[in-house]
Amino acid sequence: MAEQVINPDLNFVKDIIASGGESLKKCYQCSTCTVVCNVTPDSKPFPRKEMMYAQWGMKDKLINNPDVWLCHQCSDCTAQCPRGAKPGEVLGAVRKMTIEEYATPGFLAKMVGDSKYLLLLFALPILIFGAYALIQGHTSLGSIPRGSNGEIVYALFMPVFPYIDLTFGTVAFLAAVSFFFGIRKYWSAMGGGMSMDGNIVNSVTETVSEILSHRRFQKCNVTKERSTSHLLVFYAFAGLAITTTWAIVYLYGFHRESPYPQYDPMKILGNVSALALLLGITLVANNRLKNAEKAGKGSYFDWLFISVIYGIVITGLLSEILRLAGVAVLAYPVYFVHLVFIFFLFAYAPFSKMAHMVYRTTAMVFARHTQREG
Amino acid sequence: MSEQTSKQASRVLVIGGGFSGLTTAVDAAETGAEVIVIEKNPYLGGRVSQLNKYFPKLCPPICGLEINFRRVKTNPLITLYPMSEVESISGGPGDYNVTVKVNPRYVNENCVACNACAEACPAERPNAYNFGMDTTKAAYLPFNQAFPQRYVIDSAHCKGDCGKACREACKYNAIDLGMKPETKSFKVDSVVVATGWNPYDANKLDILGFGKVKNVITNMMMERLASPTGPTGGKIVRPSDGKPVNSIAFVQCAGSRDENHLAFCSYICCMASLKQTTYIREQNPESKVRIFYIDLRTPGKYEKFYAKIKEDANVAFTKGKVANIVQAEGSDDVLVEAEDMLTGDKVKVKFDMVVLATGMEPAGASQRISGVDYSTDGFALSNPGVFSTGCSKNPMDVAKSGQDATGAVMKAIQTGQRR
Repeated sequence: MAEQVINPDLNFVKDIIASGGESLKKCYQCSTCTVVCNVTPDSKPFPRKEMMYAQWGMKDKLINNPDVWLCHQCSDCTAQCPRGAKPGEVLGAVRKMTIEEYATPGFLAKMVGDSKYLLLLFALPILIFGAYALIQGHTSLGSIPRGSNGEIVYALFMPVFPYIDLTFGTVAFLAAVSFFFGIRKYWSAMGGGMSMDGNIVNSVTETVSEILSHRRFQKCNVTKERSTSHLLVFYAFAGLAITTTWAIVYLYGFHRESPYPQYDPMKILGNVSALALLLGITLVANNRLKNAEKAGKGSYFDWLFISVIYGIVITGLLSEILRLAGVAVLAYPVYFVHLVFIFFLFAYAPFSKMAHMVYRTTAMVFARHTQREG
Repeated sequence: MSEQTSKQASRVLVIGGGFSGLTTAVDAAETGAEVIVIEKNPYLGGRVSQLNKYFPKLCPPICGLEINFRRVKTNPLITLYPMSEVESISGGPGDYNVTVKVNPRYVNENCVACNACAEACPAERPNAYNFGMDTTKAAYLPFNQAFPQRYVIDSAHCKGDCGKACREACKYNAIDLGMKPETKSFKVDSVVVATGWNPYDANKLDILGFGKVKNVITNMMMERLASPTGPTGGKIVRPSDGKPVNSIAFVQCAGSRDENHLAFCSYICCMASLKQTTYIREQNPESKVRIFYIDLRTPGKYEKFYAKIKEDANVAFTKGKVANIVQAEGSDDVLVEAEDMLTGDKVKVKFDMVVLATGMEPAGASQRISGVDYSTDGFALSNPGVFSTGCSKNPMDVAKSGQDATGAVMKAIQTGQRR
């Protein structure tokens, strides 16, 4: 056998342990995990080899590895692990570090992954929207203009143009650019020496179809219900994305100003999606708490993402209710917080767990394209 | 010298009449101590009596047991209580009071083991000695060389007129259906806990299919299958259809080294599987054996035994723990799934029969004796005056149990001499 030199990256090991993989060192390489895993390919299965790479600090083998994203953290491995080494949690930590590795700029990724920067991250949107309010002279409740019948109109508090759309347009554009660079780096890192002569369109189509149906997710045993809750969150986000696009069309295409009546089809879609998101994310959180003993309790990275989604959906629904009820003293602050949460989600998307959407899809396409998976 | 001999003999109570308990009793009594042996079963010899062969010499354990039985029989300082259980231990070193429940055997010392009662007995019972792989009459001799050589009536399976038939068949007036449980108490200087072990309940290993998948057996069942006194007279055939076994898998660490089951290494299972490999290889020269393991633990001189088995081209070793066992479609064969770590691929292999190398659960895990301290895993702990030995203390093989018991004897008689 050819000689192989392993250069362990001990800081990488420490980082995995700090990112929710604290049980890593308990693994004694029995490979129960790979056998009970229903989503791994049979050839060179995960997560046993990943546990070894992680223990040995073989960063390259993990960071350039599409397998860590083929894992859907069913936690069948964690439940059956004879040592409590929690492979599912370790791979979760590796995924977080993959995002940190490829996201640009890197310092922002480190900040999103570390609880000590949480307040700082929130401070940015608070300052931005606070400044907007001051610029418009909203120093007291009475100074905020009302609609013609005295009703609350958020567009008069924070005009869609320029404040909302320029801010979020810029943030979304920057996030997209960051994602683009991250994914380009990731794809070429994974692709070193791989033969890729298949049809990329087919690989993408098959991957998208798998994601839309959550087929892979449904193979989980211990946390079977997760596929339903994730599906709900997924389609709720899709519904909200359509709602947003629709609103843009109303405003710039038809010059119709918000608020829109409750019976407007766009409004109905938005409300239904918001309720689906609330239900979905509640199921996600419940499943995590319920399965904590068998599947592990999740990391800061996971819970930050869940909390931000909760923040968005609750402040969003409350903004609408308080506006309709005319409770101005609560409506404006809640709407302000809602904007802060949305900013958080968009601006930090390439660095937070939100990025799993992009990296996982890329890895799944890559796995198909390189015949890692058929 | 005169002061030494004027001391009273040490009084030692031994809980358990398996290999460790017997060794304790014989060694203590042969130094002059008075020994009481409390045994739960109707026979002595415990788990060792169920083994087909010892490793590494591959001789039948009944030889060694018989020597100890004879030493027990001829030593007046040893008093045996089979079918008995300790209810509580109170007091301290040099002055213990032990309460013992003696269960009725329904057969007295007149018994000559003529088998007439069994022939007449209308009822049957599952044979626990053979792990339920066959049945005996409800009036039975536990096994052919059982000591004491006396029949037992299983009252749970001999109801109504069943007992009467046995009594009428006995020419020696040996059957006494009126026997009642008795409680006895003993004053002793020290206690030795030698309650041994039980095979870990394979039904709890849900992913390994035991009880659901045909032809998945445990290593202790394999001992009985291979034993000339076992349910098949020593022919290793598979339970579901009696087919000769041409391919067999051993699944190591079935429940051991697993915090969901037995958190510790059971020590003997690697050697047991290597030993059982010789059973099948000797019976069937065409047979193929595959051993799935995490690490093979064959310490010290046992390494030689392992090396010898490895030379056999029909024995394969696969590094990777089995974590899925299902029935092969349309047959009684068994499909075993593992990752072969040396190639890094998942393998699914079909076998005629699969042996789960289940580990040792200390008796204290399921039944604790009031007055004895236990670890969280159920191992009995030693205290001044109460000494734990053999597999009730730690998983160990027969040779080590013998040595350990002799050590416990030293402590026990010392306690008596210090009072």
